[in-house]
Amino acid sequence: MPKLMIDDRKIEVAPGVKVIAAAEQAGIVIPRFCYHPALGSVGACRLCAVKFLDGPVRGLQMSCMVEARDGMVISSTDDEAVDFRRFVIELLMRNHPHDCPVCDEGGYCLLQDETIAGGHAMRRSMGKKRTHRDQYIGELVQHEMNRCIQCYRCQRFYQDYCGYRDFGVMGSASRVYFGRYADGALENPFSGNLIDICPTGVLTDKPARFKGRRWDFQRAPSICIHCSLGCSITVNARYRELVRVEARRNDDINGHFICDRGRYGFAFANHPDRPRQARINGRDTSYEEAIQTTTQRLSEIARTLGPDSIACLSSSRAGVETQMSLKFLTRSQGWRQPGCFVDRSEQNSVTAAVGRLTPERVVSLGEIEKADLILVIGVDPILEAPMLALAMRQAQRAGAGIIILNPQPVSVPFAYDHRPISPDDLCSTLQKWTRSISSQTRTESHFVEKHEEYRGPETPSVPCPLPPVDSLLQNSRRPMIVCGTNIVGTAIIHAAADLARDIHSDCRFPGLFYVLPGPNAFGAAFASAGGKSFSDILPDIETGNIKALILVEADPIFQFPDQERVKNAVKQLDLLVVLDYVPSRSVGFAGQSLAEMVSPAPLHVVIPTLTHFETQASFINQEGRLQQTTPVHVNGLPMSQLTGGKHPPRKFRSDVPGAGARAAWQVLSELEAVLSSTPADSITFADIWYRIGLAWNISVENRTEIPGNLRILSTTVESEPMTEHYRDD
Amino acid sequence: MIPDDLKETLQRQIAATDHPREQVMDVVFILQDRFGYLSDPLLEEVAALVGMTPLEVEEIATFYEFIYRKPVGRHVIHVCDGVVCWMLEYQSVLDYLRSKLGIDYGQTTDDGRFTLLPTCCLGYCDRAPAMMIDRKIYGRLTPERIDEILGKLR
Ligand code: SF4
Ligand code: SF4
Ligand code: FES
Repeated sequence: MPKLMIDDRKIEVAPGVKVIAAAEQAGIVIPRFCYHPALGSVGACRLCAVKFLDGPVRGLQMSCMVEARDGMVISSTDDEAVDFRRFVIELLMRNHPHDCPVCDEGGYCLLQDETIAGGHAMRRSMGKKRTHRDQYIGELVQHEMNRCIQCYRCQRFYQDYCGYRDFGVMGSASRVYFGRYADGALENPFSGNLIDICPTGVLTDKPARFKGRRWDFQRAPSICIHCSLGCSITVNARYRELVRVEARRNDDINGHFICDRGRYGFAFANHPDRPRQARINGRDTSYEEAIQTTTQRLSEIARTLGPDSIACLSSSRAGVETQMSLKFLTRSQGWRQPGCFVDRSEQNSVTAAVGRLTPERVVSLGEIEKADLILVIGVDPILEAPMLALAMRQAQRAGAGIIILNPQPVSVPFAYDHRPISPDDLCSTLQKWTRSISSQTRTESHFVEKHEEYRGPETPSVPCPLPPVDSLLQNSRRPMIVCGTNIVGTAIIHAAADLARDIHSDCRFPGLFYVLPGPNAFGAAFASAGGKSFSDILPDIETGNIKALILVEADPIFQFPDQERVKNAVKQLDLLVVLDYVPSRSVGFAGQSLAEMVSPAPLHVVIPTLTHFETQASFINQEGRLQQTTPVHVNGLPMSQLTGGKHPPRKFRSDVPGAGARAAWQVLSELEAVLSSTPADSITFADIWYRIGLAWNISVENRTEIPGNLRILSTTVESEPMTEHYRDD
Repeated sequence: MIPDDLKETLQRQIAATDHPREQVMDVVFILQDRFGYLSDPLLEEVAALVGMTPLEVEEIATFYEFIYRKPVGRHVIHVCDGVVCWMLEYQSVLDYLRSKLGIDYGQTTDDGRFTLLPTCCLGYCDRAPAMMIDRKIYGRLTPERIDEILGKLR
């Protein structure tokens, strides 16, 4: 471990660490443009110069290009280094427009910071500036090429890190141009990260353009809910409107980046048709009345038809608090256990996967990058868990082999062995490999050969002849089994887990990585234990055995494949209650009155709820990691919708317009309290977590702030036995 | 745009290598010699031939000075603007060419004979100032020598 001295501070760092990173560990941030921890060093901008005073290297050097070594004495404040950096920044500013007031990077701009830090304040160059034409690069990223300082971060990210080939660097010398061959939308599904990594205003967030400065925004750390990975994000809101999302560094999961779905997929929170007011039979009403009417009808139905005639359904997008509150509610009233899935086979698959993740086998996304062999079973990474594709690419860049078992080739930004195994043979093939591996003793290790050079997302290379997968697994040290739960059934999910279990040996540390169908599908497996999926309760609705249905952030009226059937069934209910924060099909259905159409008229209630941007909510990602969001702003009608885009109203009012919604768990707790005749106003977030802690037998010390690294696995928490209740169809 | 017989020749040449993209420069120069410059349609065809994206070919085509992305005259004069030429009459060579031909850098004479472009160091420092025309390098340039060289080119 090299020991060195930077600016009179002694530090010890891991071998191979660059001086610029070593300094950061000591709390000294050396100016930089081209260096980025995820992209590495190229020495392009010359801004990170420091003076090496003593030790194996002497003189002025780029701190991003020199590895920290024992005995180095380094100064970042030495006159020569400071002067050098001042000239570099002056040079980089030579062609830069002086129009910061109209540049959208303001507040995020590293160039501003480094210009001030470098001490360049007076322009000396009198010549003309070189200028460029901007390109149209799609609706997500804005291009303003004149602001470029040629750090090459964008090109390195786009081509090297992501493997997409439609954006790069053209020209030479002072004509260097970062862009596309011609105008057109970027093809890279991770293109939004260009905004975060470009240190200047060349590449900025287009949908958020001119909506505010960084310091105008309400900002909060949050979690992406667009797939089961649960990447870390930072959310920005202004005037009660979500404005932009940025990647938040999390080395366990997403590293520095997120996908475009995660970055731009927040429109639902600003949706003009979001339910904002409780409704009974198509008529706006107060929250209190909605609760009262609902509880009255529920008690009536339970009394006359029995508690079994009331069914509840939540979903894998609802938070842990909501799912579990629904469970507590049904338990306290003796109703049917809640379900969290529309489809039976989905419930079975998720339950199987959650049941098979053990602490020894489970790996997080960050560890996928360290694999030396990845076996992918029945997942389309770009579609189902985009950042997984990026992690696999990093593994491959470091030499890992990737084998994809899928009937069809998939589009991913790396080369892979495609083994087209038909769905019928997949399970038996996995079992055959498992048997062959567990019966063999380990042979001499030779690592998986590197695959052919990557040629782009549309042309997977298939090295020939394909070596047998079992021997590849046998010879890898850190194999990872990545398995989907969407198109494969429970048998394959178990076969994947068996394979991971049986290839474990002294030299092999296999990881098991399932991709689940929702941000909190993991929690849904716990919450729906003992409950049925919507497809399994639908017959009971049709026969009249179920007369009341409570949908909590669930939308079976949209998701169930046979729309006619589900609508006809739901019409026969006495009571339909829908809690949601999006204008879902179910909300739309329950928001109308069926009085004229059906008799006796059913009671329809809609109660608006809060998104995870407006309330604290917890989600368990596909590896069992419990993560929590922080509310970024209060719920309410966005100012732009209130004023039609005009100036905010000049009259004061004491309430927030359109702020009638509550967290779903709050609504459910209140229903429970009213039905059980206990006081409702005392139920807090901490109370919910107290109950969840009891139910799972885990100790949650600070119940208002759950640590981000708590793993909730079926073997580490107590819950009802999670058996798969039904055979796959 | 590329005639079929030429295309077949190129395809055979590309097929003979392990990595098609390593042929990109060869293909570009063959086409440039034939068509004078690398137009957009040609560039896109090159990309398809060697299995690269148009952007990747453009990255190369705009990096190298001897690949022309716009129409040029029959003879392209590349004046060396390396440091040693600078010290040895680069400016007067350039001024002489400009006034003689009536064009500036990046322009072509009206008769389509000459295009004037700079180039980075040609490595002719011992015989500076230097220029290159049609892949041939000329050193120790004087107005008389320039007249003589250009006079021979139609
Ligand atoms: S566009 Fe931005 S990231 Fe790319 S080289 Fe220029 S300044 Fe760097
Ligand atoms: S990979 Fe999934 S969790 Fe991560 S940003 Fe994309 S959609 Fe969100
Ligand atoms: S950060 Fe070291 S040269 Fe750019």
